[in-house]
Amino acid sequence: MTVPDPLRRETPLYGPFGLFHDPGWGTISFTQFGSIVAASLALGSFVSLIGFLTYLSWPALTQKGVTLITTGVWYYPREKFGALAMIYGTITSASVALILAAPVGILSAIWIAEYAPRWSRLPLKGAVEFLAGVPSIVFGLMGVITLRPVMQEFSGGGDSLMTAALLLAIMILPTLTTLVEDSLQAVPGDLRTQARALGLSREEAIRKVILPGARRGIVAATLLALTRAFGETIAVYLVVGRADNRLPESLLNLQPLIESGQTLTSKLGGSEVPMAYGDPLHMGALASLGLILIVITVFTTFLGQMMMGSPEKGS
Amino acid sequence: MSDMFLRRRSIRRRAFDLLTAGVCRSGFLFSMGLIVFLIAQIIFRGGASISLEFLTSPMRDGGLSGGILYQICGTMILIATAGSVAAPLALGLALLETEYVKNMFARRTIQILIHSANAIPSILFGLFGFFALVKMAGLQKSWLAGGLVLGMMILPTTAVAVKEAIDAIPSAYREQAIALGLSKPKEIFAVVLPRSFFGLITGLLLGLSRAAGETAPVMFTACVFYGPTLPHGIRDEPILSLPYHVFNLAQDSLKPQAMQNAWGASLVLIMIVSCLSLTAWGLRRHQMTEAWR
Repeated sequence: MTVPDPLRRETPLYGPFGLFHDPGWGTISFTQFGSIVAASLALGSFVSLIGFLTYLSWPALTQKGVTLITTGVWYYPREKFGALAMIYGTITSASVALILAAPVGILSAIWIAEYAPRWSRLPLKGAVEFLAGVPSIVFGLMGVITLRPVMQEFSGGGDSLMTAALLLAIMILPTLTTLVEDSLQAVPGDLRTQARALGLSREEAIRKVILPGARRGIVAATLLALTRAFGETIAVYLVVGRADNRLPESLLNLQPLIESGQTLTSKLGGSEVPMAYGDPLHMGALASLGLILIVITVFTTFLGQMMMGSPEKGS
Repeated sequence: MSDMFLRRRSIRRRAFDLLTAGVCRSGFLFSMGLIVFLIAQIIFRGGASISLEFLTSPMRDGGLSGGILYQICGTMILIATAGSVAAPLALGLALLETEYVKNMFARRTIQILIHSANAIPSILFGLFGFFALVKMAGLQKSWLAGGLVLGMMILPTTAVAVKEAIDAIPSAYREQAIALGLSKPKEIFAVVLPRSFFGLITGLLLGLSRAAGETAPVMFTACVFYGPTLPHGIRDEPILSLPYHVFNLAQDSLKPQAMQNAWGASLVLIMIVSCLSLTAWGLRRHQMTEAWR
């Protein structure tokens, strides 16, 4: 026989439209159950994405091993799967893009944050953020129509890694500018006033007070822009030329830069993916390209997160 | 002597000051010029081909003439599916992380997973969608597969926005809920959800504005260039979409008519994207003024 508990309340209703009884303390409520289900679906989908790509790439990983990333010949009818030329394409195009975009982006962020009249900041930020949100296919179209003829004029080849790099530079410029500007704004205004009160010129205040204060944010913004450049598919696909197996003879030889090339993303966006279905080795090789891309981007992101997250050391 | 020294130094400082201002200004003018050039190009080239007929008639002659009616419908269907997939999952994920998981290690793991999912390039969602959903799960090339893939893609953005909104709830609100004797679910429904509602909508709209413009995830999973109109069932029905339309026309760059239609479709796409992100922006301002009260 159960003793009735005098402190026990009538079970009240809760939930949407009061549909559910409160199960009380100690049991899992409907809300908790629902969020557990939703969250495990969400997290499960990410885990399964990585797990599935690993599972798919298993035949290629076991049969080809390190030759996947140490050889540069990709010719699937002969089962030759070497991704080095594509890794080279991805890394060079993204780095050149960053080298071109970073100075301009950081300088214009400094101008917006430190020199621009106060009223003009909101519209300027608005314009920059609008451009950061423009879909990549539109940049791709601009690359095809505007940039390709220009590059044809300059270097003789319209579709090249350099064209892709220039397009990527234009694409990451707004993102970079707005993120750097955010981190400059995050430096407390007091520091500016105090630096100026101590007699520092504007340039000295920026160079000695504000930039050191925002350093981590700037590095993090740069890395984030780099991640975007690594993962960009469509715009690169349209202008990179998609020619396999172009590797430079030495690292300093820049000739492949102005020739057609291939990046990891443009390979994965190409027609080889539908063709590969059914051939475990070919599918596996493509999936391992995906894994390589994930490793590169996730590594860069974490570097940025670490920069952003760790506290500023006093100096 | 020291006077000379000081004067020379002050001239140098002044020169550096002016130089820096000039360099920053020219960097800014350069990128501003680029922005103005790009926006003008989109508006003038795209504006020239947009008309009521362009918006309300289906495509003809492989995109060389006709309009983009079904491409617009397809994009809307895709983002609606993506939104309805992502919203509940993101909400559940954020609630679990902020309300139920107390273990710091588990919390950290969830955050790391969300952040790395956010870093995954969109083409990999397409690759996963093609091999896993379209082929192995048997969804075929369909709007459902595309919507699921896009939903997965925008989930991290949305979840982070909800989590930030929940974290911004003043602790006094929660304390009052607890002092009134509310149970955890009641606290969530009375305090957490109403207070984070705008965060959910903002994050969702930002995610959707990205999803609407993405080509890479849908090109193997959902879209074809010509043929379908509106889908009749949930499987085996590929659809048209704006980004994929532009993508195909862009590869045909020698035909001026194709280019003109591509610019028109791009302008419509940009308008859809900016509507979504402007709404998100407005809601965020609303939310911020709300928080000040």
